[in-house]
Amino acid sequence: MNSPLERKAEQIDWAGKNYLVVDDFIGVRQLLRESLRSLGARNIDQAASGGEAIALLAKTRYDVVLCDFNLGDGKNGQQVLEEARVRHFLLPSSVWMMVSAEKSVESVMGAAEHQPDAYLVKPITEGVLLTRLNRAWHRKQVFRPIDQAYAEKDYLRAARLCDEQIAASRVHETELLRMKARLMERSGEPEKARETYERVLAGREYQWARSGLAKIRMVNGELEQARQMFLGVIAENRYYIDAYDQLALVYQHLGKYEEACTILERATKLSPNSVPRQRDLGRVCLKLGNVAMAEKAFRKCIAIGEYSVRKTPDAYLGLARVCGLKNDPKEALVLLGAAQREFGAEHPDMPLRAKITEGLVYHESGDYRHARKAGDELEAQLAARPERPDVPTCLEMATLLFAVGVKDAPVELLCYVARNNHDNAVLLDEVQAIFDKARMGEEGAELIRAAKKEASDLMNQGVLLWKTGKLRDAVAWMRTARTKLPNNQRILFNAAQVLVSHMKEKGYDELMAAEAHEVLAHVDHLQPGQQRFAQLMEQLAALAPKAEEAVAPEPESAPPASSP
Amino acid sequence: MDDTQHSQQLALFLASTAHDMKNSISVLSGTLERLLDGASPQTSTADPQFAQMAQMLYQTRRLNDNLMQLLALYKQVGQPEYPFDVQPIPAIELAEQVAALGRVLLQSRGIAFEVEVDPDLIWHFDEDLIVGVVSHAVNNAVNYTRDRIRLALRQIAHDDGTVLEIRVEDNGGGYPQALLDAGAEAMSGVSSGVDFRTNSAGLGLYFAREVARMHRHRGRHGAVRLENGGLLGGGCFILTLP
Repeated sequence: MNSPLERKAEQIDWAGKNYLVVDDFIGVRQLLRESLRSLGARNIDQAASGGEAIALLAKTRYDVVLCDFNLGDGKNGQQVLEEARVRHFLLPSSVWMMVSAEKSVESVMGAAEHQPDAYLVKPITEGVLLTRLNRAWHRKQVFRPIDQAYAEKDYLRAARLCDEQIAASRVHETELLRMKARLMERSGEPEKARETYERVLAGREYQWARSGLAKIRMVNGELEQARQMFLGVIAENRYYIDAYDQLALVYQHLGKYEEACTILERATKLSPNSVPRQRDLGRVCLKLGNVAMAEKAFRKCIAIGEYSVRKTPDAYLGLARVCGLKNDPKEALVLLGAAQREFGAEHPDMPLRAKITEGLVYHESGDYRHARKAGDELEAQLAARPERPDVPTCLEMATLLFAVGVKDAPVELLCYVARNNHDNAVLLDEVQAIFDKARMGEEGAELIRAAKKEASDLMNQGVLLWKTGKLRDAVAWMRTARTKLPNNQRILFNAAQVLVSHMKEKGYDELMAAEAHEVLAHVDHLQPGQQRFAQLMEQLAALAPKAEEAVAPEPESAPPASSP
Repeated sequence: MDDTQHSQQLALFLASTAHDMKNSISVLSGTLERLLDGASPQTSTADPQFAQMAQMLYQTRRLNDNLMQLLALYKQVGQPEYPFDVQPIPAIELAEQVAALGRVLLQSRGIAFEVEVDPDLIWHFDEDLIVGVVSHAVNNAVNYTRDRIRLALRQIAHDDGTVLEIRVEDNGGGYPQALLDAGAEAMSGVSSGVDFRTNSAGLGLYFAREVARMHRHRGRHGAVRLENGGLLGGGCFILTLP
């Protein structure tokens, strides 16, 4: 062949790599093995099922995995991939190729957290395989430093690396821009994310970019515009499932649960095997009182979760509520027991959440005696452990406890929420509303005022120490503040800021850096995508003594914000 | 059982059957390629068994292409089921895959395959669909050519924007008039379509047109046409994508 194709002859050495081929059909496995051999491959393992694949992946670090999506009974290919990623069975350089008999909806839906590096449609031939392998491999090289920065949560550095790579690699430009936009969203820089999406759209209409713009509108509260844009994306490509999920969110923000339900139902028809989507559908149905559909969604959610690392206790709790609404508290208790057995080890809040649901089930089915008993047990559980669950669970719990007639525990919970979120006006209104409903309006308002004052006093003292140059004292003070208010994001950010300032002046300190990382990881867990998080992570990374790469000039450090 | 339930079950059955058939065809055509590839040069071409095997590979490919196209079309009727997926792809990698897909078949028939493409050209399209359509066009040209097939990809500026033009040309006697007419009709969209009973190339053309039309950009969409002539003087299959 006399062609420009030979230009590409250089290429990667595919012979020395480790391969895993996963397919339930022996003929296909042999064929793929032969194709790989013709590329020179020597080390090729095979698995006939998801279970076998996981066992092999646990033992060997493969460079390339060719995995069929349909693997008969048990795990499917996507679930094998998710588990391999979550359990760190893959190298950062590993290439995962998902194989299917026909083009899968999942390949275009865009938002899946664990995407393979490429999708291949059968029949697979050597030429196509080689081209796609080479492309995936080059892509990995381009993305490796970016992925690394991303894994370290240094999103701003990752975004800068995207810009550098865009200049060097035109083939990956679109994908790099997509990554950059996502990084900007994660860094609390929606304006820069918007610019990036616009830049893509100036070249060509991509649904993910349009969808990205719509998402920014939604976050800005421009719900009607967001709704129209998501509808436009779906009209353009009805397989862009992410737009359905986002549109359902818009409808929920608008309080239009019927519409949210309809759109989620359509999405689950197109792509039924998503645990979070079935869960969301179940929850919306519960809100609407559509018990039958809620039950169907939660059951499906549990069924697909069986082989998935993404399985969630929410489905069990939701289904227990369904049972309560169907006047079958016995079955509900069985489910709550199952949820605790299945998830107790990984979710320390499980006993609390199960007990809350138990209370709700009894309360909703009119069994006030048992509901009160659950409330008392919940109060005892709270007294026995100092940690508190996340905010929505706290609010749900307080509401329930008031409803069943418990008084002290919910007041304590609401004060805890107010102290740890003293500058979140929307949330404080919600807390006030719960007090109001419990006919404790005035008392509640006073409690919230006191909680706000406690938090600002703690913070202002820290800022004062910092501004007067008493860095060591400021660090110590913020540490105490942190133990008192472990989930107050303003305090956590300031604690990290003070640590960074200390290191900037007195030099890098491993223990302090670790402490700052821990604090920031906790804030990011509480509420991802905040600008201050990204900025502090970048400053922190720049402080670390690292020789391997030239770090861009350090951004100016903002002083810790003082409380209003 | 109501009608929708019945048709849903039928669709499920067809999907799983198709999945199974695709596995079988994969294995069949892969094995044939390997056997042809492994045959030593002295036994080849002259050996009637080799020629028969080459013919088998050609037929298997046709079977595969038709099955793939039928599946895509069957599901598009009434309910567009194909998850259309446009990505930026280097044109050279499109050529690379088409060349690799045709390699054994072309060699076994003693056909020279020439490729012309700008190595820096990047275009946006659904890779699986376009590789399928172009490689089917190459398989088709095997039927018409004497001994040369040319694949040329280039960017062409029109008044209303640039397009990627993909040409598959051969040095045979050219397409028969009936096929050229069928091609023109299929493109104009005036006729109800192609008569699949009398025209074996009809399905492929129809599919190519559907695929081309799915590719839209700024109010323009892709197109397919057939001509005689071109650089090699035989039949030309031309696909343009906005």
